[in-house]
Amino acid sequence: MASFSFLNPGFLWALPLAAIPILIHLLSKRRLPEIRFPTVMFLRALEPREIRRLRLRELLLLLLRTLAMLLFVCAFARPSVEPKGATVRAAVAVAVILDDSESMGALDEQARPRIEGARERGLLIVDAARAGDEIAITTTTGPDAPLSNRSGDRVRLERTVRQVDVTWFPGRMDLALERARRFLGRSGLRSREVYIVGDFQASNFTREARENVAMISRSGARVLLLPIVSSRLPNHAIEDLDPELRPGPQGKGLEMRARLVNHADAPSERLAVRARRGDALIGGGDISLRADESRWASLPIDWRAGAATGMTAAASTGMTGAEPRAPVVVESDVDALAGDDRRYAVLGAPRRLRVLRIVESRAGAPASRFTALALDPMQDGSGGYAIETGTPASLLGLGRGRADVVLLEDIASLSGDAEARLRAFLREGGGLVIGLGPHADPDYYGRRLFPGVIDLALEGMERAAEGQAFEMRARAPAHPILEGLSLTVGSPLTQSRIAALARGRVTSGRAEAVVATTGGLPVVVAGPQVVVFLGSLSDDWGDLPYSGAFVPLVRGLVDFAARAPSQEARDRLLVGRPPAAHLDAAPAGAVVVRGPESYRSQATVVSEGSGFRAVADAPAPAPGFYVFEAGAREAATVAVNPDPIESDLRPVSVDSLRSGLADPPRTLLTAASLRTHLRDTRQGRELWLLFLTGAAIFLAAELVLGSARIAAP
Amino acid sequence: MAQTSQRLLDPHFVSKLARLDLRARLVVDGFLTGLHKSPYHGFSVEFAEHRQYMPGDPLRHLDWKVLAKSDRKYLKQYEEETNLRATLLIDTSASMGYSSHGLSKLDYARQLAASLAYLMLRQKDAVGMFAFASGRGELIPPRSTPSHLRQMLVLLERLEAAGGTDFASSLHALAERVKQRGLIIILSDLLDDAERIAGAIHHFRHWKHEVLVFHVLDPQELKFQFEREATYIDLESGERVTTRPQELRGDYRSRVRSWMDRIREFCIEKQADYVSVTTDTPYDRALLEYLSKRARLL
Repeated sequence: MASFSFLNPGFLWALPLAAIPILIHLLSKRRLPEIRFPTVMFLRALEPREIRRLRLRELLLLLLRTLAMLLFVCAFARPSVEPKGATVRAAVAVAVILDDSESMGALDEQARPRIEGARERGLLIVDAARAGDEIAITTTTGPDAPLSNRSGDRVRLERTVRQVDVTWFPGRMDLALERARRFLGRSGLRSREVYIVGDFQASNFTREARENVAMISRSGARVLLLPIVSSRLPNHAIEDLDPELRPGPQGKGLEMRARLVNHADAPSERLAVRARRGDALIGGGDISLRADESRWASLPIDWRAGAATGMTAAASTGMTGAEPRAPVVVESDVDALAGDDRRYAVLGAPRRLRVLRIVESRAGAPASRFTALALDPMQDGSGGYAIETGTPASLLGLGRGRADVVLLEDIASLSGDAEARLRAFLREGGGLVIGLGPHADPDYYGRRLFPGVIDLALEGMERAAEGQAFEMRARAPAHPILEGLSLTVGSPLTQSRIAALARGRVTSGRAEAVVATTGGLPVVVAGPQVVVFLGSLSDDWGDLPYSGAFVPLVRGLVDFAARAPSQEARDRLLVGRPPAAHLDAAPAGAVVVRGPESYRSQATVVSEGSGFRAVADAPAPAPGFYVFEAGAREAATVAVNPDPIESDLRPVSVDSLRSGLADPPRTLLTAASLRTHLRDTRQGRELWLLFLTGAAIFLAAELVLGSARIAAP
Repeated sequence: MAQTSQRLLDPHFVSKLARLDLRARLVVDGFLTGLHKSPYHGFSVEFAEHRQYMPGDPLRHLDWKVLAKSDRKYLKQYEEETNLRATLLIDTSASMGYSSHGLSKLDYARQLAASLAYLMLRQKDAVGMFAFASGRGELIPPRSTPSHLRQMLVLLERLEAAGGTDFASSLHALAERVKQRGLIIILSDLLDDAERIAGAIHHFRHWKHEVLVFHVLDPQELKFQFEREATYIDLESGERVTTRPQELRGDYRSRVRSWMDRIREFCIEKQADYVSVTTDTPYDRALLEYLSKRARLL
């Protein structure tokens, strides 16, 4: 039930002013002039009929004037009503979640960072605080302890809000909501509110975050969503860098690979990407990206330019063994979110990818060499691949020091020892490419080798009908395996056909069908470290080796398997996590880590397989290069980058946060609507404008009635 | 010259002159001066002409002197003798004292009556006067002697607006006293019951009188151009009505118009001439009406 009150009741003393029209009316009646007139018989005749009507109109006019004056005076007294859910008379516990993640640094059309809008709204909420209210302010990147201030000291609260700034950390909305929920749970006040201020990145609203919103809502607290932006801002980003240099096309030159993403509805044409080491430009290129495309792109690198700035001569000449590592910065054109347009990497010296081909000779016929030729056509390693061909028995001596990737080609089955050795190789971070074929035993692969290696079930062989063949189509065209091919979803991989393949079925989300037949049968299935080609990598089942797609496909299979995601994830260092480095030798003395923004931290060193692993005690506050020093000597340098999850500025659908809740969160899109909300709920909904409008309407009606009266004769 | 005559016919200008006889003469002179340009001819009793005798003409009009001198037969136009007897009836009730702009209805009627009397006497007509109000009246019988004018002017000077009208009773009484056929000229605001007015006029017509009614009103009575709410006091009955003129103006005007129309219809029905004048109407209109009526009578 809404209650009515006046915020400025002192003005109600002026209410007697409403009697002015009545007094004027009475006085004018009392002082009527007298006019002597020849006869009043015509006036008298009019009296009964007209005068009564005129008196009625006069009373109506008097009423209108009095009401107008009444409303006018009341408007100055600031009438207000307390709407449902308002907290005019009760103190309120308020939790404010300010998103200060990296994405809040994105600039809007007026080149104003989103964080400014968040701070503005935060200050509005703090300004509306009254004595007795409890306010906690927390951020989405803050530590576990809430950045709260429960005192009623508005100055301190305002200072807290003003100090909130964009960080390099990814937003953890779920944790922030959890902190807000705990704060409200501890409060003894019955009226509770949570204000979520941010850009509402879809990636921030995880399942846990949504559950927390629902729990807060169900606890009786009101949830208010304050999105700073309501539309998606176009943004591109450099998501990742391959720290390993690779040979260029036809083995000429060197190139590094960068994964770029275009988070926009429109293509990004000729995006300029540059690679620098220090001040020296060592490479770059123009990249075009389709809408929402994410792919690896190769950047030609002038290795000698790098050598001039510190690379060793050996490294500059080509593929070598252990080489020094070089810190490199890759930048692209700056857009709305500048933080993700720069990425750091410590490049290793270029080296060949070591591939162990396992083939079998049958009936004296030599094994096919299609894959060997695809990877190393000159047979001199200039293609970037060092090929070693062996038999299944060769697997018994397999190790990471011998090969990066094992390629099984049409192998019927493996012995137990070979299989055990292969599994150990995978555990060490090695990659595996399996090409089936007419001699491969589906039962062996499906039942024995694949479990624990890749979530793929084999259900026999599938042969095309007489006179027909299977066509291969890309199902995941942006997959790294297919990066050498320009494909879209569903487009044919090649003009060539295959006559048969193993009938496979992906059994979990850890594996993905990258290529499939037109009928939906998987042809290429990728899992962590392991890729399976369910057809034949020779010409047993078709003419694929003779097509133009064969070389990039085989290289894609091997490259993907070599870049083991598990290893990659382990090596990727992100802002907000402690920097870590691999040390070949035990450090002499304590290890100190130095980085950007005056970062300095002790590191803990633990033994790790072939060396030692040093992990800093403090998380990295900003992207850049972090140097591990042992005894005043540089032991290692690592690159720390921002979390690419912040690059996708796509906002979550606010409606999706409201669904299923009895008291759904209210959305306040603008600062003005927040101001109105705060005023309505803290002071009641002011009605002075309504009253003034009413007074104006009454006055207008009085004027209309009055002019009609004059115009009547 | 024309401008001077126009000015002399303006009631407000004439009212500024002191003496009534002078005023009457100025009005009539101004009127006559303007009339030479008008289509009304042959009014002057002093004009005579000769024309050739035609067989059938009465011999008594033959100019014997011319015949004796020239042996030619000419008819002589004798100075015309009139038998028109006019009586001016002047309403002196209190309502006639109303003035919205300086010249009351009674003043206007007084001036008009003097002018008519002067004009009539100049034409050798017999003119009398009857000033009446409720319960009283003063009659000067019609005569055509020039000295008679002075007697009427004295009466006119003495008139004051007072009392009620009782229009019909006064006229009925007069009708019984003036039985010799003549012209009855009524100058009144006719603020009485229309039926009773019609009855009085009928009484005059019964005795074969010609009746000419000058309905004298103040312009404000027609327009009712008051603005503020006020209490209106009836000059005759003292009755008070409080009202807002701007609200009633339209209805008031339509009622006055219908009242005047009804009186006019009564007059037409009784074969009386009706002339509505306001106190700002030039006198020539009234004089012309009189002359027109006279021409029809003679």
